[in-house]
Amino acid sequence: MYVRALPTTDVNRNTEWFTYPGVWTTYILILFFSWLLVLSVFHCSPGIAWTIVHLAHFTVTYHSFHWKKGTPFGDDQGIYNRLTWWEQIDNGKQLTRNRKFLTVVPVVLYLIASHTTDYQHPMLFLNTLAVFVMVVAKFPHMHKVRIFGINGDQ
Amino acid sequence: MITIPYLTAVSTYFSYGLLFAFGQLRDFFRRFIDWWLTTNLHGYAPICLGHEDFYIRRLYHRIQDCFERPISSAPDAWFDVVERYSNDNNKTFKRTTKTSRCLNLGSYNYLGFGSFDEYCTPRVIESLKKFSASTCSSRVDAGTTSVHAELEECVTRFVGKPAAVVFGMGYATNSAIIPVLIGKGGLIISDSLNHSSIVNGARGSGATIRVFQHNTPSHLERVLREQIAEGQPRTHRPWKKIIVVVEGIYSMEGEICHLPEVVAICKKYKAYVYLDEAHSIGAIGKTGKGICELLGVDTADVDVMMGTFTKSFGSCGGYIAGSKELVQYLKHQCPAHLYATSIPTPSAQQIISAIKVILGEDGSNRGAQKLARIRENSNFFRAELQKMGFEVLGDNDSPVMPIMLYNPAKIPAFSRECLRQKVAVVVVGFPATPLLLARARICISASHSREDLIRALKVISKVGDLSGIKYFPAEPKKIEQTKNDIKLD
Repeated sequence: MYVRALPTTDVNRNTEWFTYPGVWTTYILILFFSWLLVLSVFHCSPGIAWTIVHLAHFTVTYHSFHWKKGTPFGDDQGIYNRLTWWEQIDNGKQLTRNRKFLTVVPVVLYLIASHTTDYQHPMLFLNTLAVFVMVVAKFPHMHKVRIFGINGDQ
Repeated sequence: MITIPYLTAVSTYFSYGLLFAFGQLRDFFRRFIDWWLTTNLHGYAPICLGHEDFYIRRLYHRIQDCFERPISSAPDAWFDVVERYSNDNNKTFKRTTKTSRCLNLGSYNYLGFGSFDEYCTPRVIESLKKFSASTCSSRVDAGTTSVHAELEECVTRFVGKPAAVVFGMGYATNSAIIPVLIGKGGLIISDSLNHSSIVNGARGSGATIRVFQHNTPSHLERVLREQIAEGQPRTHRPWKKIIVVVEGIYSMEGEICHLPEVVAICKKYKAYVYLDEAHSIGAIGKTGKGICELLGVDTADVDVMMGTFTKSFGSCGGYIAGSKELVQYLKHQCPAHLYATSIPTPSAQQIISAIKVILGEDGSNRGAQKLARIRENSNFFRAELQKMGFEVLGDNDSPVMPIMLYNPAKIPAFSRECLRQKVAVVVVGFPATPLLLARARICISASHSREDLIRALKVISKVGDLSGIKYFPAEPKKIEQTKNDIKLD
């Protein structure tokens, strides 16, 4: 029922919240409840609902993890202004538990979405494109890489 | 070590997620609407880069009435809070002329010097008449009076070091001294929860900064060994200097630093110790001399002792105490000494008088009484809060006690409801604290009487029930024993 929160050594307040207990559970619960919400609002089949959740998850997480740079407050005087959230977590260390978890979640969502739509065509193409972009963006080799200068600094 | 109920953690993340999502939605529509409106600022760079003001605009402004409340009396145990109202949903406030008399649980008025004192205030007024309100000069030019010299001598006697230098502002003491003490090629190892003045000073110095887990001497040792073995980044040359920065009482946790272990480790690896006693000087220790007295650490082992006069002495400014060579070096190099205006003479006189009261040199034992009272008050309040089932952080004897709130909605709920019941508390949230760990921070003062504390406990208990922050089970009240118990011989 109770869980202990050890203080972390991460000074970046923008990413330090991800090291406390309960984040992974909250993330998974939000995905599950949004699936239920989509099902109840759109009255569609479960497969289409999972596809919608997967694509919405792709849009939201791509925008907040890999597009937005910097921190939402000004106390750190802009030292992280060139780094996206994904590049900031765990102080830039690659292949930590948090990063592995965040890479696995879109893949699992993709598998669920493709399975429940029976791998049929327009959904499969969109889902595959989304998961491809998501997973490539999280590769360790893509740390601080800006392809063709997209999202680069002025 | 903070113990959170799991459900509370999950719901707190969810609440923040919802708040951020709504903030992004409103920003999206605002950008759309602003595109249509004309502006005459074409060609100018935006004031805020990216979304660095997102938190302030979309989260902080919603509950802005819980912060920055103006007061219109001295910060005594009871004070007047000015009532204000807002017509545009907390974006701007208008003050009214009405005030409400509230119990003050937020001021750092540890020894009660924040209001009229029978020894200090007449002397301060005399010094104001003689020296006037400001020295209008920096220390090197014309800003050193006999009171300043007496103050530095008083501080050395109080803290127990050979020499001291005093500055006009506590925050500036840290942020201007650390760059003078260490530069590029040096290493600063600071506790992960150090105050932002230390963080600013460390960043401004140009030295490499490493952080160790809060109040964990074993992790400090590990970081020290790793860094000494690796040397400077890229060149791997040995470090020019290593300074370990810790605080006496951490203001957001109320915890007391494990100073003896830290000093032992630093002696072993030949690193310097910088101790920031902002909250602990004058408030803990048998005669109020701070954490070194409380934990039995010899002051000669701590290389740089820094403190502020804003908390226990009821004045302004900060000091650095150290060896004679260190203080002489600082007086020649530190910009806060050379260029900043010196501490106003009446404030300096207030500090001298407060030190004299604490040490008993004014001829009474009021100092000892104040110290005993603050210790009793803190221990009583903390024990009662814990019995009621609140999660209270901090060690025994520490006058700072944060009550954990966690959920972002409970921050304004607690603050506003307490104000309605005439108790003024300070609530702190992200980014001053970690995202999950929002809290209400209570500072006990020696000028609180037992009735004040009992009244505060009643109010906090009721508000705690309303906002659901009693995360631990309350201890059952002991059944009072009747007077005709059978005596066993």
